[in-house]
Amino acid sequence: MTAYRLPKDPYNIIITGVGGQGNVMASRVFSNMLVQKGFFVTIGETFGASQRGGSVMSHIRVSSKSTWSPQVPKGKADVVVTLEPIEAIRVLAGYGNPAVKVLTNTRAIYPAGVIAGRLSYPSLDEIKETLKKLSARAWFIDATDEAVKLGNAILGNIIMIGALSAVGDLPVGRGDFEAALSRTLPAEKMADNLTAFDLGVELMKQ
Amino acid sequence: MSYLTDEKEGASCLVMGNEAIVRGALEAGVNVASGYPGTPSSEIIENLSKVAKEPNLYVEWSVNEKVALEVAAAASFSRLRALCVMKQNGVNVASDFLLHLAGSGTRGGFVMVTCDDPGALSSVNEGESRFFARLLEIPLLEPGNFQEAKDMTKWAFDLSEELRQIVVVRSVTRMSHASGNITYGRLPAEKRRAEFRFDGFALDPDEGIIISAPVAWKHQQQQEKIRKAREIFEGCPFNTYEGPERPDLLLITSSACYLYSREAVNVLGAEDRVGLLKMGTTWPLPPKLLAKHLSRTDKVMIVEEVLPFLEENVKILAAEQAAEIGVKTFYGKNDGTIPMTGEMNPDLVIAALSSVLGIDYVPVPEEYGREAQASVIARAPNREQVFCPGCPHRASFFSIHNALEMDNRQGFVCGDIGCYTMAIGSTGFNTLKTLHSMGSGAGIASGFGKLGQFGMDQPILAVCGDSTFYHAVIPALVNAVHNRSNITLVVLDNSGTAMTGFQPHPGLDHNVLGEAVPPIDIARICEGIGARVEIRDPFDLEGTRETLNELIEDTSGVKVLIMRKACALSPQRKNKKDYTVHVDETICIGEECGCGRFCTRIFGCPGLIWNAEKQKAEIDEVICVGCGVCADICPQGAIKREEVA
Amino acid sequence: MEKRVIRRGQEELKKYVLDARLCTGCGACIDLCPYHRSHRGKTAVLFPCVVDEGRCFAYCPKVDVDLDMVSRHLFGRPYDGNPLGSYQSISATRAGGRLKNVASQAGGVVSALMYFALEKRYVSGAVLTDRRGLLPLPRFVTVPQDVLACAASKYTAAPTLSALNQAVEKGHRNIGLVGTPCQVLAAALMSSNPLKADDCVNPFGLVIGLFCTWAIDFRLFEPFLAGRIEIDRIRKIDIPPPPSEIMEVFGDSGTKLEIPLNEIRELVPNGCSYCIDMTSEFSDLSVGVMEGHPDMNTLIIRTDRGRRIVEEAAQEGYLTLSALPEENREHLIWAAGNKKKRGLSKARGEGMINTQGNETKSYLRISAEILEGLTA
Repeated sequence: MTAYRLPKDPYNIIITGVGGQGNVMASRVFSNMLVQKGFFVTIGETFGASQRGGSVMSHIRVSSKSTWSPQVPKGKADVVVTLEPIEAIRVLAGYGNPAVKVLTNTRAIYPAGVIAGRLSYPSLDEIKETLKKLSARAWFIDATDEAVKLGNAILGNIIMIGALSAVGDLPVGRGDFEAALSRTLPAEKMADNLTAFDLGVELMKQ
Repeated sequence: MSYLTDEKEGASCLVMGNEAIVRGALEAGVNVASGYPGTPSSEIIENLSKVAKEPNLYVEWSVNEKVALEVAAAASFSRLRALCVMKQNGVNVASDFLLHLAGSGTRGGFVMVTCDDPGALSSVNEGESRFFARLLEIPLLEPGNFQEAKDMTKWAFDLSEELRQIVVVRSVTRMSHASGNITYGRLPAEKRRAEFRFDGFALDPDEGIIISAPVAWKHQQQQEKIRKAREIFEGCPFNTYEGPERPDLLLITSSACYLYSREAVNVLGAEDRVGLLKMGTTWPLPPKLLAKHLSRTDKVMIVEEVLPFLEENVKILAAEQAAEIGVKTFYGKNDGTIPMTGEMNPDLVIAALSSVLGIDYVPVPEEYGREAQASVIARAPNREQVFCPGCPHRASFFSIHNALEMDNRQGFVCGDIGCYTMAIGSTGFNTLKTLHSMGSGAGIASGFGKLGQFGMDQPILAVCGDSTFYHAVIPALVNAVHNRSNITLVVLDNSGTAMTGFQPHPGLDHNVLGEAVPPIDIARICEGIGARVEIRDPFDLEGTRETLNELIEDTSGVKVLIMRKACALSPQRKNKKDYTVHVDETICIGEECGCGRFCTRIFGCPGLIWNAEKQKAEIDEVICVGCGVCADICPQGAIKREEVA
Repeated sequence: MEKRVIRRGQEELKKYVLDARLCTGCGACIDLCPYHRSHRGKTAVLFPCVVDEGRCFAYCPKVDVDLDMVSRHLFGRPYDGNPLGSYQSISATRAGGRLKNVASQAGGVVSALMYFALEKRYVSGAVLTDRRGLLPLPRFVTVPQDVLACAASKYTAAPTLSALNQAVEKGHRNIGLVGTPCQVLAAALMSSNPLKADDCVNPFGLVIGLFCTWAIDFRLFEPFLAGRIEIDRIRKIDIPPPPSEIMEVFGDSGTKLEIPLNEIRELVPNGCSYCIDMTSEFSDLSVGVMEGHPDMNTLIIRTDRGRRIVEEAAQEGYLTLSALPEENREHLIWAAGNKKKRGLSKARGEGMINTQGNETKSYLRISAEILEGLTA
């Protein structure tokens, strides 16, 4: 299949967020980028009822050898990409470990209990402190805010995919993204997505 | 063209389990596919409908699973290849016909795919469809990875034709909704012609009449088919073994649990101690194959979801063959090694294996685990499921709740399955008080409505969705009208089967193939049955509430209120704002008497947030979909909406 | 504003009034917020409110009412337990020639006074009670003619004050109110600014109280009358002065239904049985029937504001005034005193009177001395 040596096999990515943020799309696109490179990829995801404002999670297992379980075993995430900041904390409690890398979109989506005043939401500083403590490396990216500037908040997921590709553990880049996306996306939407992807790569340099 | 049909033989592709099933059916040359939407099964019919034109497929969303199975059966009876798809609940609905079908037998390859939902990730039960295979004496296959999901589906059609019996392929959420690489096979060129033959010898399976009688003879035939299946399964390549010749422990598993088990063995580094027997044919089990593997070990663990189906069947075979294979120690659900409820995952298998094998396993350093858990408690507030921003159900249940409170006689609502199920919680103002199967709200209400003679004077309401109305509510409504039950049925008509991804239903003017079809009008059905019918837009909160109170007070019999508003995620509403909405901070009184944060604390649309610093409500521009309903609930008129031109 | 430690909000209102079945559905807590609604005569709490001190509690005439505070606020004198409350004078009266043919009750004085007050702009609008069938409907009217449409007694307990709350919310001031004793008491509480709000203004220009022995629960009354008379076509309901002991219900086709009062008393809300006010003591003017004179009213003038309007209305021919015969006055005092004694004894027996003046939640606050005097 592929000659590329993964830092770990299987290499485990978790993409998390809130229903409606484009979590599934992000995991699909990124996985297709990897499949094009010859990897076995297994994605496990929850959607359906959990889509309705609940936490959603995609587990991506990347291997040069075989298909793995659609659920990552506890403590075995290598990188966590989160479209909503506190969801990263939730995922790390299940799948984190001292070596994990975390990429966090900084835009909060408040849970119903927070909006209602029954629960409280931590400050961004508190979230950053927690994620830094629970990871080997943490990046904070204003993906939604940047996407709003691009004219469509949903592109936040693509910005995060760009950022993920810039972590450097996996041999994928812009060309793979373009190829993977063109399988499913109409041509007129490509430009915006490519801009978002590039922006994600760019933001990781800062 | 879809990537499910355009890839060449031998291509490797990343597909969802459900798409693998689709590809398998296409490679088998399926002609007719039917089903009723239900997570996690819906993508199968959806994807088949997308590719239907090219291979001349007929695909339909049927009104319910029983009818779907009957529709597919007609194709099989006509020597076509037929597929019928449903989630676990659907098998219960279809089971009456399924029992008779198992007796009558089939002609063209007939495969029923059931997608179970262990752990009830998207269900209100974690029912097991596998037991139907044993109960109804029909063959059952369970794919253990994505490639098998495709290959096994294809093979199931051949098997069905060989046995002249329906074959069940059982998937689970983590198989159907997970994705993996598969290698495509060939798409067939063969075209079949439909013909129903009935004028041969009556009992001839190919040219006679298709019935389940004479029962004794047919039942014998049916069991003969099962015996034949058992023979075939002895050599079936979907039953695989990996591990040492004589393992310390034989782990027998099926479906997604195979992937968890394999992972667990790998994580524990126990590859040379554990033998992994993955069964693809879980009913009937092949006794010789089992005996071979059982005889090579003393300890046997069985990992499966949800109930101990495989476990019990293996134990029966082990008992029958005990003289040859010896006495075994079994680990599984019955002895508590594996949980008896909920879905499995690698960690549960790791825990079971490490305890049986005596391996110490710590997934993460203790200190890290402690810190992470503490962080979740302190800094990750629970995220409960809520109606989407702009969801008509929030408005509908707000009005239902208010009408019942104002009525003040302890009225209550019987519900059923759909997004509106969430009205048991705060997002729907805790309005639902009973919740069971499709259409059950109406049926239970019909019963409650007859308890007046025993002193019940509480108003009785039921809710159902539009798709559910056609699926199972009509008989309940007939029952209520005919038996003079005094109830109010609220049909939450959001113009599609919203929960499962917006599949069309009989109320719409197009079908899943995009063809124009006659819509069946809910209001006219209800009027025809003899109910009083009102139609309201749930976004007219006060008008809806008034109508509800009026209907609740009308004691003349069955009243139906159709709340008509398309789902916020529907094609006609998605990404279209009716209004731009903002909060005028100078008017918002926040926590003061007269409001008490009514919009954010009570109404709870995710598009409205509370700015604690300013002590004012605020619109979250990224989340708000511009339905404008909140402007009507603000007691101060501080929420302003302007129509989008 | 510093929050009080002791909560006086919706939760307490629910516990001490609604759950204790003291609510008469007067409407004082309705339309102040989205949490309370009135429907078919019943007050409903739709959702829990978390405001510590709510107007709902502060305005409610059935919880923690400090009669002495109200009396001092309205009349500048302590509450002394007089059966008829504080007043300046009592007269016999009837509507004058300027207002003929009004389908009103007895002497038509309430309609005449409010019509006059509105016409002369003593009030900018009036909160009244209309009805549809048997269902009482609160109304805010600004045209004198509309007062006449609301004439005649309703007898069913009504959320009249919800219309007041709406009118105040819309910025109306100098409002006229016609209400029963519980509604008038709530109005007095509203005007006393019980929450000490900076922006609170007294919204009332004239409060006319009605004599009331009890009201009828609409939700019981409607099924009670159903089948006996066409409810949508009831023209008028009347209880002739004693000793007739009947209620008369008139249909529009001339039909008349007579119902013994002991049957009607079964339909009275529980909350009415604790009421100690027959003559709407906390009004500007109180009006009721005059025993033995079905076409006359008894009028109690309590405030200077009320007296000026009465005098002017009489001068302009809207009212005729005469002296109330002594025996009528004595009977009124006797009847009002009886109601006080009955209500107080019941409330005291159930531990609902606060004589300590502390924060204990109760129905009434009253001094031990006056309580003893009234229940002796």
